[in-house]
Amino acid sequence: MKNVLRWDPPDSLQGAAVTYTVQYFIYGQKRWLNKPDCKNISRTYCDLSDETSDYEHQYYAKVKAIWKTNCSRWTETGRFYPFLETQIGPPEVALTTDAKSISIVLTAPDKWKRNAEDCTISMQQIYSNLKYNVSVYNVKSKRMWSQCVTNHTLVLSWLEPNTLYCVQAESFVPGLPRRAEPSQKHCISTLEDPTSALK
Amino acid sequence: LRRCLAFVDMRHLEESFQGIKRAIQAKDTFPNITILSTAETLRSIKPVDVCCVTKSLLEFYMDRVFKDHQELKPQALRTISSVANSFLYMQKALQQCQVQRRCPCSEEATNATRMVYDNYDQLEVPSAATKSLGELDVFLAWIAKNHQKTSPA
Repeated sequence: MKNVLRWDPPDSLQGAAVTYTVQYFIYGQKRWLNKPDCKNISRTYCDLSDETSDYEHQYYAKVKAIWKTNCSRWTETGRFYPFLETQIGPPEVALTTDAKSISIVLTAPDKWKRNAEDCTISMQQIYSNLKYNVSVYNVKSKRMWSQCVTNHTLVLSWLEPNTLYCVQAESFVPGLPRRAEPSQKHCISTLEDPTSALK
Repeated sequence: LRRCLAFVDMRHLEESFQGIKRAIQAKDTFPNITILSTAETLRSIKPVDVCCVTKSLLEFYMDRVFKDHQELKPQALRTISSVANSFLYMQKALQQCQVQRRCPCSEEATNATRMVYDNYDQLEVPSAATKSLGELDVFLAWIAKNHQKTSPA
């Protein structure tokens, strides 16, 4: 739940020495709050992850441009609800194989944290209905298929021996149209079929 | 609650509301007031009270919000009536649960619901209805989350 506010510079002031100031608002609270390290900045983004870390609250943010002695109106976001709008990262994928099957173990992604020593929260704890879409590609036959998985393990059976398969997985929460971020491709080859050696 | 609302398709509800959410929330000019008080009210509901609070909030939306809300845009009207139909269906399911006495109402659950009505009555009716409708995603997310097993966050 790394939440970064981004904006574009004013069209009419491209290249000018424009600075920006950001404020944010917690829905239901009383007033706009300053973000000290996003005051009079020249970059066009502001990391509000700490300010929006309570993912069950809702937030607004606004930014204004300052150029010389001129100050623009505030431009305000819509209501932002991290619990529903955060993009969920891909799971970790671990593969093991034998002659005709591949076992896939999926580990839910962790919630974003600023410091390594902060406590780790699995996205599975936040979204108990977290699911995975697993895509499997047979490199030899160029055949691909996908499966929706609820728990963390999936065994692909009746595969071709001595064949390279590639697996990719993405996490999703049923209900909301969020862009899914697929994992890297993990490839593994099934082993020789020991019974075929006996023929 | 899972047994009571096991067959409700929350996904369709959430997706249809997403289409009108921005427009409705943009009409809410009182960001310093919440109706459902996300963190304080709903998050503090215990599993044993989930059924009662769900039933009460469905009544709140059906008997107050949807009736009070004046909507002109056809697309929004269609979405709101589709949400209302789903809520009607959920109310019937919860009534079955209540008949089988699996929907107790504790004092805390009753207080939580009263707070919602108190928040609603703070505003003029049109504003209150628009704000409540703008918070429908919070209610739907809460139902979906409590419809699954409860997980510590």
